[in-house]
This record gives sequence, structure tokens and C-alpha cells, in this order.
Amino acid sequence: MDARVLQIEGVRHRYGALTAVDGVDLRVAPGECVALLGPNGAGKTTLIGLATGLLAAQEGRVRVCGGDPRSAATRRHLGVVQQTMGFPTTLTVAELVRGAAVRAGRPAAAAGPVLAEVGITDLARRRSAKLSGGQRQRVALAMALVGDPDLLLLDEPTAGLDVAARRTFWQVLARRRDAGVGILLTTHILEEAASTADRVVVLHRGRVVAEDSPGGLSARLADRTLTARSGVDVVVLRGLPGVLTAVRDGERVRVTSAEPERVLRAWLPLDDALGELRVEGAGLEQALFALTDDRSERDDETMGVPA
Amino acid sequence: MTAVVERAVERREGFDARVLGVEVAEGLRAILREPTALFFAVLMPVLFFALFAGIFGGYTSPSGLPAAATMLATYGTFTVATVMMVNPGVTVADDRTRGWLRVKKVSGTPIAVSVAAKVIAALPYALLSLLAISAVSLLVAGPVLDVGTWLRLVGVLLLGGLPFALLSLAVGFVASSNATVAILNAILFPMSIASGLWIPPEMLPGVVQAIAPVLPTFHLAQLALGQLTGAGGLGHLVALLVSTVVAAALAGLAYRNLRV
Ligand SMILES: Nc1ncnc2c1ncn2[C@@H]1O[C@H](COP(=O)(O)OP(=O)(O)OP(=O)(O)O)[C@@H](O)[C@H]1O
Ligand SMILES: [Mg+2]
Repeated sequence: MDARVLQIEGVRHRYGALTAVDGVDLRVAPGECVALLGPNGAGKTTLIGLATGLLAAQEGRVRVCGGDPRSAATRRHLGVVQQTMGFPTTLTVAELVRGAAVRAGRPAAAAGPVLAEVGITDLARRRSAKLSGGQRQRVALAMALVGDPDLLLLDEPTAGLDVAARRTFWQVLARRRDAGVGILLTTHILEEAASTADRVVVLHRGRVVAEDSPGGLSARLADRTLTARSGVDVVVLRGLPGVLTAVRDGERVRVTSAEPERVLRAWLPLDDALGELRVEGAGLEQALFALTDDRSERDDETMGVPA
Repeated sequence: MTAVVERAVERREGFDARVLGVEVAEGLRAILREPTALFFAVLMPVLFFALFAGIFGGYTSPSGLPAAATMLATYGTFTVATVMMVNPGVTVADDRTRGWLRVKKVSGTPIAVSVAAKVIAALPYALLSLLAISAVSLLVAGPVLDVGTWLRLVGVLLLGGLPFALLSLAVGFVASSNATVAILNAILFPMSIASGLWIPPEMLPGVVQAIAPVLPTFHLAQLALGQLTGAGGLGHLVALLVSTVVAAALAGLAYRNLRV
């Protein structure tokens, strides 16, 4: 028996001349939560579309729970939140979630507990046309969970959620993960994903540019941020040896680098007034930024992908 | 990494009639809760019928039957064709453009089940419209058919709605919801007039009478009239079956171009 609930091997997908997913390998085991990160247009939604079988892999292989995601039988084992999804305006929240349960081969009565779990019991009788954006997102999550899936594929599930709803979301997700459900989710909120995800996969221009545990990813990039008050133009700073990125924030400049000493040796002679210098480990956000910023000229470099 | 936990979820596999049930229920709710779209599809034929039955209902048609009776067959054809032609296609186009069809596809719902549910959900509406014109006919002309004949008429009309539903789906699979309404009405109205559903075929120009035999509405109307006159309808039945096959082929073709 295959231990993976999702297996993506050497998958490529082109839209005309544009290669949106460019040879990606990705595996998710039962009880594992993988966060897929990357800037807009990186290919995350395309990759999720390949995993759900909505898009056919033009190259490579996709297996879901050991089956072909394009077959209806396999799809019943999936729970999906799509980045853009629409509901009939004439149905209520309870009807939508009950319908999702039945479509997944589960009893309609499974809806009640899931509505409570996601915190939308009070919306049960509301028509979908009258839901707010965040409420719709929570209904979508309930619909994905109610089938008791073996694999959750969630495309920006926290988009539009308020702080409380996001907290609930991560709690629900951790519970499912611990119950043995495999999870692949995309997000832009890295710090949050880090607390629940076992693994972070960074996608950039359709390729995996980094894959590691959240801790490993930030540790690898820990010595990389220099902040200082400086008048030197960021364009000049970006040209200095060892600089990955340079961003101005008012009077201060934030530079990321793998070699902070080398950067400082070049930076100091340019700016007599340089002050308030701090060198610190980069947060995950900065790590991600460094990995996917085109000016960092790291596009073709692949980090930490197991050979 | 978290330890792997064995999961044992009880799940129905294979065809599940409950899914069809959910889909039909959703279709019925859509019609009941937002009835405006279909309101006109029913109201129009009923008003037309009331108007013409009021004027001609007392006359006797060439077949010897009261005009109110033959009009039940022709306007019945028109109402059923209208409901079956408008509803399934428009709702499929709506579901598609809204992204709901994609949600259902990813959930493992066979599209064939969704499509069958659309047709089934439209049937009560078609029946309702037939009841409406029958009630008007009763008011205007009194009882013109015995119950058995009326039931046969209704049965034939509802079954005969299938090719129209398939044609409707063929358009709904590929066109936007607005375009679907426009295209289907553009097919429906000329077809209805040319088939003598509004005014008797004998009163139409010769050219129009010549094209009528290629239209499914014509054959359904003739088959419906046959229930009243007892005339044999094998030819019309075959023609309707051929129309059904052609409409199914069109729907299949459109389905292959379906972008959810
Ligand atoms: N249907 C389509 N036709 C043509 N190009 C497409 C299509 N869908 C996506 N693309 C392109 O493919 C690339 C990847 O898109 P994708 O939606 O997968 O990105 P993403 O990582 O999900 O971005 P976001 O964070 O904005 O959701 C983008 O350059 C996008 O413009
Ligand atoms: Mg996306």
C-alpha cells in the first residue's frame, strides 16, 4: 500500500507559451501538513488544480490516495477549497454542507458537527447569497471537511478570515492532521503556516525553490537581515557584493544577505552617517522574500531540495 | 513528523442515489426560491392560451374536436417546450459561470447525474404549467376531454420534453447564462410558430408548412393531438426519437467542450 495521500512527480503544466508549473515533485503523507508558499503567479493554484484533477498533467504523474484524481471515485476522498468557488444563491449554508457530505458518500447528518467545528452553526439557515466574504470562506472549509477526506487541498483557505476565524481554522486543521489527514494548503501568511505545517514548500515561477521544515527554513536564513539608518540609495546597495535584497523603510534600510560582514565592509565606506545598525536572523517572511525576489538573482538556484 | 494514524472512514462508493436526490432537491429549490426566471416561461404560454382560447375556444377544429381541446395539445406542447428548453440550460450555464459546476466536479459528482437532476427538477414545473392551461381551458370552455385522455396527453407531453431539455443543455454547456437565454428563445419562438403551436398550421404560409416536419415541436404537437383524435402517431414518434438522438449528440459534443 502506498503511504502517500498525494504524490506529484515531475509535473509540468503550460498555458500556451507560459509554463505555470515547471517540473514539480511533491509528496504529502497521511497526518502531514504541507504549506505551499510563493508570490502571486508562482503556480500554486495551478498545482492544486493538478492535484484535484481539474487540470490534466501535461507531463509527469499525479496520484491521490493511490488513485487518479480525474476519477470521481478518487475525488470522494478529497476535501477541496478552491481559490475561487461559487455556490448557488438559492441554497442555505446547512443545505450546502449537507449536500457536500452526501456527495462525499457520507451521511447528511455529518453536517451539524462540522458547522459547529468551523463556528458557523448560527449561519446554518442563511442563504449563500447573503454571506460575507469571510463567512463564505468558512462555509467552503466546512464543505471540504464534512466528507471526512483523506486529503485536504486548500487554496488560500484563510483569505478574508478575521483573527478569531483564522485561529479556529488552524486549530481545526491541526486536529485533522493529528487524526491522520494529509493536508496541502497555500497561503501568503507564512508565520501562521509555520505553527501548524510540518513542511514548507516554496514555489517560484513554477519551480520548487525551497523545501524544509518551518524551523529549518528560517534557521538556514537566520543570519541574513541587516537594518540600519542610512542615506545610501537601495539601488546602490543592491549592487554591493553579498546583498540579496535591499528595501527602504523611511530612514531605515533593510538588507538581506548570507554574508553580513562582507556587506558591512562594503556599505560602511559609502555612508559616514550609518547608524542604528542591527543584524538579526531573518523572519520567515524575509526568508520567503529573499527566496522569491527576482532582484536577488536567485531564480535558478534551488535550495534544500533533496536530490 | 506526526505519526501516521490509520483512518477508517465509512464511505459509500459507486453510484449513490442520494446524490441524485440532493441534486434534484437543489434544482427544485432554485426554481421555488427564485421563480422569476421561469415565471415568464409559464405565464407567457398561459396568457397566450387564455387569449386564444377565449377567442377561438368555442369553434370546432377541422378534426371535429372543439378548438379548446386541440389547443390544449398545441399550447401544451408550447408550454412544455418552453420550460424544458429554458430551465435546464440556463441553470447549467449559471452553475458553470458561477464556479459551482467546478465545485461539484471536484467533489466527485458525475456530471451525468447533475444533468439528469436538472431535467428531473424541471418536470414538476412543466406539469404545473400544463395544469395552469388546463384550468384556464376548463374555465373558458368547460370540460372538453375525459380524464383518461387528459392524463395520456400530459404523459406524452412530459416525456416529449426530453429532446428540448437536451438541446437546452447543449447550449448551456458552452454559452454564458445571458447568451443561453437569448439563443434558446431565438430557437424556441420561430420553431413554435412554424409548428402551428400558436395558430393552426393550415393558416400558415406554404413555405412555413413545408419546414414544419423537420421541427421536433411539430411532431410532439401531432403526437399530442393524436391522443385526442386517436390518429396513429408512429411516424411522429420516430421523428421525436430522432430529434432526441440528435439533441443528445449535440449535448454530448457541447459537453466535450465544457469548461468548468
Ligand atoms: N487559465 C489560465 N490561462 C492562462 N494562464 C493562466 C491561467 N491560470 C493561471 N495562469 C497563469 O499561470 C501562472 C500561475 O498562476 P497560478 O494561478 O497558478 O498562480 P498562484 O501561485 O496561485 O498565484 P496567486 O497567489 O495570485 O493565487 C500565472 O502567471 C498566471 O497568469
Ligand atoms: Mg492562486
